[in-house]
Amino acid sequence: MTYKVTEEGNISTVHLDGEIDMDVTEKAKEIIMPLIEAKKEVHLNLKEVQYMDSSGISVLIESHQKAMELGTKVTLKEISKSVLKVIMMAKLEQILNLD
Amino acid sequence: MEQSNIINLDEKRDFEVNSSNLKHVRSFCREVFAKLNINQELKDELVLAIAEAAQNIVKHAYNNEQTEDKMEIKISVSDGHLEIGFFDKGRPVEKDKIRHRKIDDIKPGGLGTFFIQQIMDAVVFKEGEKPWINHLILSKNLNN
Repeated sequence: MTYKVTEEGNISTVHLDGEIDMDVTEKAKEIIMPLIEAKKEVHLNLKEVQYMDSSGISVLIESHQKAMELGTKVTLKEISKSVLKVIMMAKLEQILNLD
Repeated sequence: MEQSNIINLDEKRDFEVNSSNLKHVRSFCREVFAKLNINQELKDELVLAIAEAAQNIVKHAYNNEQTEDKMEIKISVSDGHLEIGFFDKGRPVEKDKIRHRKIDDIKPGGLGTFFIQQIMDAVVFKEGEKPWINHLILSKNLNN
């Protein structure tokens, strides 16, 4: 997994690229969580994520819940077809912010 | 689903038990499923189910601890019936404790087993024959 973070005002966009599994979830959290803790609105761009498993879904849930707790928001942007399928399999499409 | 030309096959490979090898598990599955005339969506689901089961071995049978042990994954197709065997030498699986979290209980974790059960027709835990401790069998009828 590789990533790039861009900033615009209070919005931080994290562009994730590659496959997100148990091996990279700690790295993903290290990128995303400090932005949420800084009360940034976080956009996760998932266009280039070709594979995500239950560990990756856990990162999305944890990020979403932390953002709600701190009064900010995580929005999933340009979700790839394969990731959307896993989100729907987990029945999270009404829970997470999908754009 | 395209039902014709599903060939019979029997392939197995050993993997070191750690999270950095999960990508190799997925590559092996993709290589094997490329030989089957089933749609890409089903192939992707099967790769996910296998990777989740392999992840459970790393997380639960070995508690994410370093080991020199290997796990074996065997993929067999016979007359349209897919069977995937997982063999490991980790802690014996406590079958009664295996359950996915309630799907409406939104919290991180506990989804891997749910995905496996959603994708596969059957999930069976057996005691492994020596030298193995655990033997998990996932199966699915590819003719449906």
